[in-house]
Amino acid sequence: MTDRIVPDDPPLSVPTAKATRAVTGTPPEPPRTAGSRLRRALRTALLSLPLVALVVWTLAPFLVTLSVSFKHRAEVFADPGLIPSSPNFEAYREVLTSDSFTSSFLNSVIIGFGTTVLTLLIGVPAAYAFARFNFRGRHLLLLFTLLPRLVPSLGLMVPIYRLAVALGALDNRLTLIVVYTGMLLPLAVWLMVGFFQQIPKEIEEAANVDGASLWGRLRYIVAPLAAPAMITIGVLAFREAWNEFTLVLVLTTTPGKRTLPFELYLMQGIEGIANFPAEAAFTILTVLPFVLVYTRVEKYVVAGLISGSGK
Amino acid sequence: MTAATARTRRRWWQRPPQRPDTSHQLQLGHHRATPYLFSLPSIILVAAVLGFPVLYGVWQSLYDRERLVSDPEFVGFANYIEMFQADTFWQSMGRTAIFVFGSLVVGTVLGLFFAFALFRVVEGLRFLRAVTVAPYIISNVAAAVMFRILFNSQFGLVNQFLGWFGIDGPSWLADPNMAMLVVIFTQVWTDLPLSILLLLGGLMTIDQSYLDASLVDGASGWTRARYITIPLLVPQLLISTVWLSYSTLTGLGVVLALTGGGPLRATQTLAMEMYTVAFRNLEFNQALAIATFILILNAVLTLAYVAIGRRYDYER
Repeated sequence: MTDRIVPDDPPLSVPTAKATRAVTGTPPEPPRTAGSRLRRALRTALLSLPLVALVVWTLAPFLVTLSVSFKHRAEVFADPGLIPSSPNFEAYREVLTSDSFTSSFLNSVIIGFGTTVLTLLIGVPAAYAFARFNFRGRHLLLLFTLLPRLVPSLGLMVPIYRLAVALGALDNRLTLIVVYTGMLLPLAVWLMVGFFQQIPKEIEEAANVDGASLWGRLRYIVAPLAAPAMITIGVLAFREAWNEFTLVLVLTTTPGKRTLPFELYLMQGIEGIANFPAEAAFTILTVLPFVLVYTRVEKYVVAGLISGSGK
Repeated sequence: MTAATARTRRRWWQRPPQRPDTSHQLQLGHHRATPYLFSLPSIILVAAVLGFPVLYGVWQSLYDRERLVSDPEFVGFANYIEMFQADTFWQSMGRTAIFVFGSLVVGTVLGLFFAFALFRVVEGLRFLRAVTVAPYIISNVAAAVMFRILFNSQFGLVNQFLGWFGIDGPSWLADPNMAMLVVIFTQVWTDLPLSILLLLGGLMTIDQSYLDASLVDGASGWTRARYITIPLLVPQLLISTVWLSYSTLTGLGVVLALTGGGPLRATQTLAMEMYTVAFRNLEFNQALAIATFILILNAVLTLAYVAIGRRYDYER
């Protein structure tokens, strides 16, 4: 588990699948006739059909929600088309002026950034110690940090609720920040240990020769080099805090203390008849901030998603 | 694996067995306490938030209390016996079986299909990958609201689509048979990005010479997929299966926000049953027995998948 993740020999001579395909798989260009061109066009269309299906499968739920959010309550049933006939911002105005949205948005932002900062503050030094220092109990302590990753949040609901009640820690932003940080740490440490091991230690040893202290090395050498991994962890921590539902469901009980997913959940049952445009607008406003961030950091999210599969 | 075989067959002229790799460790002196100071906050927090509560939960599942305010008494496995005797438990077991199995089938089929589609992409992969991952960045509750709109019986896009073919779409979420289907699709939708990326990664590492050889032998596309590509994808399929199964078995958000277990308990999975017993009936110790059972079931299922996967893994 703690062995080097990079292979000993850099795979310089190993041809990638794509390169091999480029060399061996390209058939000679057939003579172009009208028939073959038609067949090629048809073939391209057939091959891209699954991709169209992928895009529809992923984006259809987003699009219908966006569509409904721009309609009036009555229009939803009268005008079921995807493009609203008279788009308006009524639902957004309703949501943005409601206490449930503003307070939970603020809570989500605070808890999101709190979790991100705390995860990095605690996780990065731990990962550095596991990657760089040789100390007694290293493997056992690393196991204690990584193994709890297997625990599902479902198994935590009742125990954490009971403990929070006993400690008087319900309805507290700090409780949620601490709980989310704890849930993120195994993944964060796992990711960072692998990353630190890839940074050549010689750079740090050279800096040490030049008189840099441990703090100086961390500040001026390790931190800049580890920035991509730290961004990945930051994004994952923020995502967890922003989206988590099962634990905030039991750890908060009063209005004004909840986060966005909890308020959205409550919205569905409050009124007798569902207010679809408001629900849709609330959903869009919940999703939008992270989507805007996501387009900038997509690469890091994908990296984190794949590494997170080492469950 | 290779190191172990090398060690057993080593001859005197061969290299000695390798010691554990420490090449990433600094050879500099440091204060003896430094590594502990660095790593302890993380260990303590993980133990406090994950390790201790789970063990506490398992331990408390052996206790029960007469009323909500009275002290807990040790009852041994009475909570578990009571759980196994309850009809509601076996009902939710049945619903969970359908939920997990359905999600595995739908998720694996769609995951393979989309991974194959993405593998052929030459340009625009970055955009398509960003689209693929989109469900991963939104909460289960948001996904549930979206699917509730999509599958609405009166204005939902799905029923409109069926209407074009003259099919009168069912009222999905009010129909006990159909509600489970919607829940499965929603759950798969939220979990699929990881499966697709895993399988796509697997496809990219397959040695192309296998496929070239089969081309020479005149294998058709389907034969190649069936006899070469998919067998070589077994490791990725295994991880994807474990992930989908874990996520559906322990997933509460989608079911709770979409149906709340209804209609007529048609989507009352084990996770929902645990939530109901704990936070509606306030029988916390009973709920802990169910939670412990879910944890054990998850471990057993994971081991079963690994055992099955090993049998079909050609590279082992």
